[in-house]
Amino acid sequence: MTATGRPAAARRTPAAAERPRSGGSGPPVQGLSGRPAALRPVARDTPATVEIAPSQVDLSVDLGRGLVLPNPILVASGTFGYGIEYGDVVDVNRLGGICCKGTTLRARIGNPPPRVTETPGGMLNSIGLQNPGVDAVIEKYARTWATWRAPVLVNVAGESVRDYVEVARRLDGVPGVAGIELNISCPNVGAGGLQFAIDAGAAGEVTAAVRRATDLPLLVKLSPNVADIRPIARAIADAGADALTAINTLSGIALSPRRDRPLLGNIYGGLSGPAVKPVALRIVYEAVQTVKIPVIAIGGVTELSDVLDFLAVGAVAVQVGTAIFADPTVPIRLVDELAVVCARRGMTSYRDLIGTALPPGKGRPSAKGVEYRP
Amino acid sequence: MRLAAAELVDSREILPGQWLQSYHAPDLAIGSRAGQFVHARTGDFSGLVLRRPFSLNTADPSTGIITIHFRVVGRGTEWFTHLRPGDAIDLLGPLGRPFEVDSRSQHILLIAGGLGIAGVRMLADEAIRAGRQVTLLFGAASARDVYPSSLLPDEVEYVVATDDGTLGHHGFVTELVTDYEGWADQAFACGPTPMLAVLAQLVAGRRDRLGVAKLGRRRGGGRTAPAGSPAARRKAFLQVSMEQNMGCAVGACLGCVVMTTSGTPQRVCREGPVFAYDEIAWQGGW
Repeated sequence: MTATGRPAAARRTPAAAERPRSGGSGPPVQGLSGRPAALRPVARDTPATVEIAPSQVDLSVDLGRGLVLPNPILVASGTFGYGIEYGDVVDVNRLGGICCKGTTLRARIGNPPPRVTETPGGMLNSIGLQNPGVDAVIEKYARTWATWRAPVLVNVAGESVRDYVEVARRLDGVPGVAGIELNISCPNVGAGGLQFAIDAGAAGEVTAAVRRATDLPLLVKLSPNVADIRPIARAIADAGADALTAINTLSGIALSPRRDRPLLGNIYGGLSGPAVKPVALRIVYEAVQTVKIPVIAIGGVTELSDVLDFLAVGAVAVQVGTAIFADPTVPIRLVDELAVVCARRGMTSYRDLIGTALPPGKGRPSAKGVEYRP
Repeated sequence: MRLAAAELVDSREILPGQWLQSYHAPDLAIGSRAGQFVHARTGDFSGLVLRRPFSLNTADPSTGIITIHFRVVGRGTEWFTHLRPGDAIDLLGPLGRPFEVDSRSQHILLIAGGLGIAGVRMLADEAIRAGRQVTLLFGAASARDVYPSSLLPDEVEYVVATDDGTLGHHGFVTELVTDYEGWADQAFACGPTPMLAVLAQLVAGRRDRLGVAKLGRRRGGGRTAPAGSPAARRKAFLQVSMEQNMGCAVGACLGCVVMTTSGTPQRVCREGPVFAYDEIAWQGGW
């Protein structure tokens, strides 16, 4: 990734900088057990004595294994294509990261249309992982990605452990590929997507297999379509994932205007948008208290208050998805607004916003990746 | 493609449930071509998360005015009807690829089913400006749904069919096509998918005997352009403008695809909405 223009050394996390998960000391991660209210930086709404300019606020997110996001606002898989589609409308270099369209080993034509429909406060989609296959994705886009400041995480989907492993191997070492977001939860592929995500054993198995296949930063995306996320999150973390992303879409259906059949060609679709935000908040809240690796939140992020909510329940970053369709400029505006809010509260780092709504006595959740220990 | 501010100039219900709105949007009026569309954001942020795609019905570079023509089908389209002159909305556009007219085509046949008129309306303006003759075949359920001739340029020959026979030909608009296919150098259609499928069937297998092909080969005409390229579409007798539920409208979400004869789904928003009739797999193919 030296081709991104950042010196490689700056992106590596020195082992010496590693801090204990909780009970650690010193900014920017304040792992304060019990968090005395007086020390809670977020409660400070009065202007700081030292003026801080928004540009001085540290928005960087260290996910470990050398992956440092320039800011905590990413774009979610499936809503931003391969990063090039919005052209001049969005300056990709200002994004915190880009999760590309779900990528599989072989090309897929996806599901029959209609594939999308609007629902109250959200939308359903059932694209069915249409993509040209990992080799074509690398050939067509990786060279462009390597020139961007924003890291590109390739969202990887598959129908078997072997598929996932093979895709990960092919992405390993490709300039322009900053990491992998493992989609074990896409509810649209009948043949197996759902099974990995709803079973702790299967989720751990596929994570461990991909972990062995690549040294790339590995994020695993959680499905909300489960009774209890905690054992699954734990299994994925134990299997060596560097971070979790949550949540994928909720399974749902919509009806045709005449109510004579389901509307979507695939019958089932995934619900996204503001309608799913409370579910996402709950799952992030539970996941951050279960695992020690960072959690990136997805689910209806549309305005700054959504970002602040997800940070408050312990997410280190957010992904913007459905909101991009209404306004492609949302993610970059959120980056600016987050910096302004931090500066106004006298914060030198946005990390002070993380975990403020978690139960006391738990310590701050991880805002930094675990250093790679082979 | 750009995000452009558009100010409502005029809004009226021209047919039951169908609205014609004019917006001042110079950025879009200049450089847009017939067949392209805009993606309009509603101001109802309480529950509507998607934009609404509208064909560019007309675009006048000299005044900076564009028009859209739509039917109220839900809360989003309803929202637009409540706008008042002076209100501003945000349009993403121009999007998609336009109709491709062969430079030799003198006789342009437009075929519209119902609201499909919005998809081909601007091509009438473009063709007349280029000195071509235009015939519009228009089909609707009933006389009350027939597009007012006063909204068409005087030069257009306007032929109407209604399903119930209350105006013009009694039957489907597709039944009128045989009378005009010999006259036409190229045909351009927009309407319900079954209508477009019938038109494609009428044309299928006769590519060398219809339209521009019968005008003779051009220099270098022996080369075959890749399917889906503007050059290949320009050679097609029939081009169709397709409709599909849409998400992003820029090609990112892959929500609005149609199956093509190549076996690969193509995006209506990016490779379309205009396709040559023989690009589309009319029977599906999934």
